[in-house]
Amino acid sequence: MKHRICMVSDFFYPNMGGVESHIYSLSQCLMALGHKVIIITHAYGDRTGVRYLSNGLKTYYLPIHPIYNQCILPTVVFTLPLIRNILIRENIDIVHGHSAFSTLAHEAMLHAKAMKLKTVFTDHSLFGFADISSILTNKVLKVSLAECNHVICVSHTSKENTVLRAAISPHKVSVIPNAVDATSFVPDTSNRNSDKITIVVVSRLVYRKGTDLLAAILPVICKKYPQVDFIIGGDGAKRLILEEVREQEKLQDRVQMLGNLHHDQVHGVLNRGHIFLNTSLTEAFCIAIVEGACCGLQVVTTKVGGIPEVLPEHLVYLAEPNPKSLIEALEAAIENRISGNILDPWEQHRQVSLLYTWENVAERTVKIYNRIINEENEILSNRIRRYSHLGKVASPFFMAVILLHFFFLFLIERLRPRENIDVVPDLNGCWKDD
Amino acid sequence: MKEKGSWRKVLYEDQGVPDDYVDDSFLEELRKNLYIRDYEYWSVVAESGVVTQHISCVALFVVVFVYMDENRLSPETLFIFSLFCALLGYYMNNFMEQRNFRIWSRRTRWDDLKTVIIILAFSGGLSPVLMTLTDTISTDTVYAMTAFMLLANILFHDYGANAAMVSDSLSFNAGIFASVCLASRLETTWHAFATVTLAIELFALWPVLRRKLKTHYQRSQVALPLLMGTVASMAIWSVSITCAIVFISFQVFVSFACPAWLLNMQRFKNNIHGPWDEAVIRS
Repeated sequence: MKHRICMVSDFFYPNMGGVESHIYSLSQCLMALGHKVIIITHAYGDRTGVRYLSNGLKTYYLPIHPIYNQCILPTVVFTLPLIRNILIRENIDIVHGHSAFSTLAHEAMLHAKAMKLKTVFTDHSLFGFADISSILTNKVLKVSLAECNHVICVSHTSKENTVLRAAISPHKVSVIPNAVDATSFVPDTSNRNSDKITIVVVSRLVYRKGTDLLAAILPVICKKYPQVDFIIGGDGAKRLILEEVREQEKLQDRVQMLGNLHHDQVHGVLNRGHIFLNTSLTEAFCIAIVEGACCGLQVVTTKVGGIPEVLPEHLVYLAEPNPKSLIEALEAAIENRISGNILDPWEQHRQVSLLYTWENVAERTVKIYNRIINEENEILSNRIRRYSHLGKVASPFFMAVILLHFFFLFLIERLRPRENIDVVPDLNGCWKDD
Repeated sequence: MKEKGSWRKVLYEDQGVPDDYVDDSFLEELRKNLYIRDYEYWSVVAESGVVTQHISCVALFVVVFVYMDENRLSPETLFIFSLFCALLGYYMNNFMEQRNFRIWSRRTRWDDLKTVIIILAFSGGLSPVLMTLTDTISTDTVYAMTAFMLLANILFHDYGANAAMVSDSLSFNAGIFASVCLASRLETTWHAFATVTLAIELFALWPVLRRKLKTHYQRSQVALPLLMGTVASMAIWSVSITCAIVFISFQVFVSFACPAWLLNMQRFKNNIHGPWDEAVIRS
């Protein structure tokens, strides 16, 4: 069974990051399996309109500019005419939203539900429950996922988190991990400095990525092991504290800071190191440690969020998120490196490359599509009933919003009848009706 | 499907179960209300003294203004009185200071005197300006603005809580702004000068001393609010009996009803913790 899928997110190329590359790689693999995939995102600078990426991946850059944190202003109805037009034009039957932060994804899923299409949502991040911003985002998620046909999370921890946040049944949530393109993370030991042990850190230098932890362990490790060097790639608000430590401890020749790395430079930097260090304080999946392991590096990481689920025990040194435990784990890794008690990089690459592949992710996603495509569409009164669990104030409010939204759709159906919208022929021949 | 119990919470191996499989261990690591604190009623009441006595401070300040506005209090008396209070406070502060604080901070008595002279000179020099600053603005607007600023002063004041909304500088600035507003409604420059210096004492110096008193003499936390509350109530009583009754009932509400309310609300607490929480670095 072949589907026509529309991926929606505020986060997409030319922006680079976990969600962006996830959408891109998943779409490419789905197209290779013979499905039709299009992508909807907002305008990036003057990049608006339709663009084609590799293999004819059609991307609609809606002429709406982001307001805050790369997300568009949540208006509920103003994106409706445009997105409805695209969904009809492209003959879409499944709308797949990505990331809980993305207003565009939530809105498109709402439009899709009103148009009796199926929706899937992938959640990429973990949230707490205590601070005001997560309380608000969790409310939005509750509303948005009330009608969603199926939800995908990237790890079991992420699933638990999403089930609690969105108040949905765990049976409606699948766990499909992220994947790594193993062919672009091939070990190359010739770039390593063989007299030294190089520890590589590649992450944004912000609080959530544990840069403070890194700053605390840098001097200790450097003092204890004169043969250990650090390479730190990335930039962010906390870069200053690292530079401060480097200066205070006179480690300029041993701690190299590369600043922002382009995605294609990461592989080269990884291959200069022996040990990959991750100090994140929260992480749904952590693709970085898989990339590090894929390049044949020993991986030392904090044990937070979904990280303990990601790599088998013999490929990873797990530590509690405090300097003491992290130093112990790093020491264990360094001692094993010195005594040669380590896996051959190529053998490690072989093992890791089999763990997470995009082909596998795409297959598992298609299984979900196959299942939901036959689910019943609900009539308006039933749809509205799904919003009854949100709270004394929120429930009536969002029920009213759904009604209003439905009314707008009704108006647009009259003003711009479906019959007047041309359906796009399949030019690239990827998708054939069967 | 595999037998029960063999499922592991890992992603790296295919465990032969569908992707939407829900194991019995689902949400096993969920913890509720981990960091809940058991409050004791009387200790909360004692802690609320910080709030009531700051409110008393603000009330006193307003009463002093009313007195001066009605010419029942001369600015000279006020200035001498507040100078006396400042000296007393300085002496108490000195008394509580650690022995080697002066050596460690390298701050001499001469430095302290310089600061005092600078502040006095500035408020003295600027008081003619302050006096006529809001001449063109109607008195009602000025009073409304003052009320608003004093409210901000009370809301954002640092009562020792670790919260995002606490901002000592905002609170202090609001207090000074309010004092400038009020000063401009008085008759002479002397009035304005006395009001502003009193405001600096009440909103800047007093909280510092109060915090020191708290660390050194726990008992003062019970005595001070009582003393300040009584003085403020009597002062207000002499101006308006209605205001005094409202003030007293509000103070009673803050120090007795609010703690009971807080204790009562504790059972609604529903804090969820789990492995998805952002880790807190403990060194």
